[in-house]
Amino acid sequence: MITKKRSAFIALAAASTLLLGACATSSETTTDEATSGSTENLTEGTLRVAMGSPGEAQIAVWDQVAAQFEADNAGITVEMNYVDDDLYQTIGLPNLLSGRDAPDVYFEWAGSRLAERNAGGYAADLTSYMTSGVLSGIWDDSAFSSGEVDGKLLLAPHKADVTNVIWYNVDIFNELGITPPTSWEDLMETCQAVSAAGYIPMASGNKDFWAAGNWLGHLTSRVVGEDVYDSALAQRTSFDTPEWVEAFGFIKELADNNCVNESVNAIADNEGAQLFFQGEAAMHPIGSWLVSWAIGEAPDLNFDFVNLPAMPGGAGDQGSVIGVVTGYVINDMSPMKDKAAAFLAMANNAEFVNKFIEAEAIPLALSAADAELDERTARLNTMLAGSDNIVGPPDTDYDLEVADYFYRAVAAVLGGVSTPEEAAADLAAQVE
Amino acid sequence: MKATKPWVPYLFIAPALAFFIFAVLIPMVATAGFSFTNWNGFGDFTFVGFANYIELTTDDIFAKSFQNVFLYIVLTLVLEVMVGLGLAGLISVQKSGSLWFRVALFAPVMLPMVVVAVLWSFIYNPDFGLVNGVLTSLGLEDLTRIWLGDPDTALLAISVVSGWVFSGFFMVIFYSAIQQVPSELSEAARLDGAGEWRIFWSVKIPFIRNAIEVGVLLCVTGAFQGFDLFFVLTNGGPFNATEIPTTLLVRTVFRNADVGYGSAMAVVLTVVILLVGWMFIRIRKWSEKKELRA
Repeated sequence: MITKKRSAFIALAAASTLLLGACATSSETTTDEATSGSTENLTEGTLRVAMGSPGEAQIAVWDQVAAQFEADNAGITVEMNYVDDDLYQTIGLPNLLSGRDAPDVYFEWAGSRLAERNAGGYAADLTSYMTSGVLSGIWDDSAFSSGEVDGKLLLAPHKADVTNVIWYNVDIFNELGITPPTSWEDLMETCQAVSAAGYIPMASGNKDFWAAGNWLGHLTSRVVGEDVYDSALAQRTSFDTPEWVEAFGFIKELADNNCVNESVNAIADNEGAQLFFQGEAAMHPIGSWLVSWAIGEAPDLNFDFVNLPAMPGGAGDQGSVIGVVTGYVINDMSPMKDKAAAFLAMANNAEFVNKFIEAEAIPLALSAADAELDERTARLNTMLAGSDNIVGPPDTDYDLEVADYFYRAVAAVLGGVSTPEEAAADLAAQVE
Repeated sequence: MKATKPWVPYLFIAPALAFFIFAVLIPMVATAGFSFTNWNGFGDFTFVGFANYIELTTDDIFAKSFQNVFLYIVLTLVLEVMVGLGLAGLISVQKSGSLWFRVALFAPVMLPMVVVAVLWSFIYNPDFGLVNGVLTSLGLEDLTRIWLGDPDTALLAISVVSGWVFSGFFMVIFYSAIQQVPSELSEAARLDGAGEWRIFWSVKIPFIRNAIEVGVLLCVTGAFQGFDLFFVLTNGGPFNATEIPTTLLVRTVFRNADVGYGSAMAVVLTVVILLVGWMFIRIRKWSEKKELRA
């Protein structure tokens, strides 16, 4: 009981501190200095950089960038703040931004979150830096589009991740004499063949909802069309429509055909991946980060990927890719925007781009094009760059509460708890 | 005699009072204040009156979370308090060699709850976990389950883990209390022909009633404060089958960034816990009065 009490107390204390902290500092962010934008003559101060934890290898590179920047800019201290990913994505970043020591540079996802930062006055216009300043020439112009809001370039792009493809075990597919599925019918037949051979057709760990949520979110976008997908998740239209029921019907079909592991809603994403790594599952729907993960965890695994199969009669682009561009934003309230831009330029120079690649991150900088990438990663990048329609994941492109309801509806259908009709109706009611 | 420095007592309590005001009172008042707002944790907030509380009355998941926590209380009263009492009874009868038994049963209490949860997530893993593995090797494949993924078994599975951890804790409390039972009472009962079970039930348990009451109170309040085990093992799932007020509150505030609504949940949860505590005290007083009358 002592442990229970202590943990609850810590949670309560943290919540209270967070609430009080946010309350106390919410009105202190617009000082004259902060809003003046005068940054040219700053020779000393602290440059604060915030991001979700990118993993030890990349943290080491960021720390090197910080050390190098401090060495080149006497009097400037760089303070790196690596926040737990989930916390950063939800309430962490907003609290940092509204706090007394707000970050000058922060990690952000392109999409609605970036627009929200712009509306809140936390995103500086980087257009001049990126077209003729210290950030020019680092990226191809095509990399800028996702970070453009109201005609202003707000995001210095860093990485582009395909959020979901279907990874498959090449050896199992060869053993069974099957080819990667390119249509829904193919996928159903593949599931049957794989299942009959005693393997789990597709392994997914959806305990935290996003894993299958993103994958099946992409599926639904193919069925209802990107516009309907976007308008429903953006709360402009209802989920309780025949096309959404149809989309959820495909998820039910997946479950009914035993395509997905029975434990899907009980295990975490890493446990789902382990089923794939250990050769118990033939397919694993997850994002581009699986490459480095699998190379580390299962070096002998012979795996490849195929994009989500085309959906029969789907209203959407059947070649769409679900993915997201991430990068760094300079806080519009920062008193050292020039220094912040110089810091981002340094982080994206050829030396550090190579170090990021060694740390298994593939920056979007042009200098990364010369790097030797894993062949699958290179193909994923090509697929993302060549796609006419990039679908945004619910939890990075839309309101988090709506994304949560959506993920839960998907999980309920996948787990056989809700019918497609019930899921669509419940989801619509919750969102409304 | 009149105190010459009447302010001295206040000086002594000032540090504790200041800490209480800063760490407890202000956050509580602030939380109560936030519960009347629509606020995402940063920026401006809007006063919405009782809207959050009205919404709570129709929130099925919030109601379900209380249903789950009350069921969890019942289960843990059995798996923690009653099992702990039984174990205390056993080791009080057989003292020689019970030290290792006590250490083994108490050891889980010393483990961080997150470690316990991770450990048991492997044990319950449906694909390569110990429970299903043992059942399969015994030819009982029909009994294998997705223990944490089945709405029918998830809460029970968590309660078993809780019982594994805290039954040892309650065993120690009850064992200490049993040590205070005068040996003359047990010996007199034994001379009257009572067996060990009868002595335990009719002599020792009535004697340690206060300790049992404390145990029940700790178990009930601890269940309301439970979080880590649920968060790591199921995160409220599957399909809200293990959603308890604390997991829902954390999700609402930290995941959905709905601080106003989450604060209303916190206020209701606090009121419910206070009510349960008050009921416990009333029942105890009523029971004492009844005994005095008898």
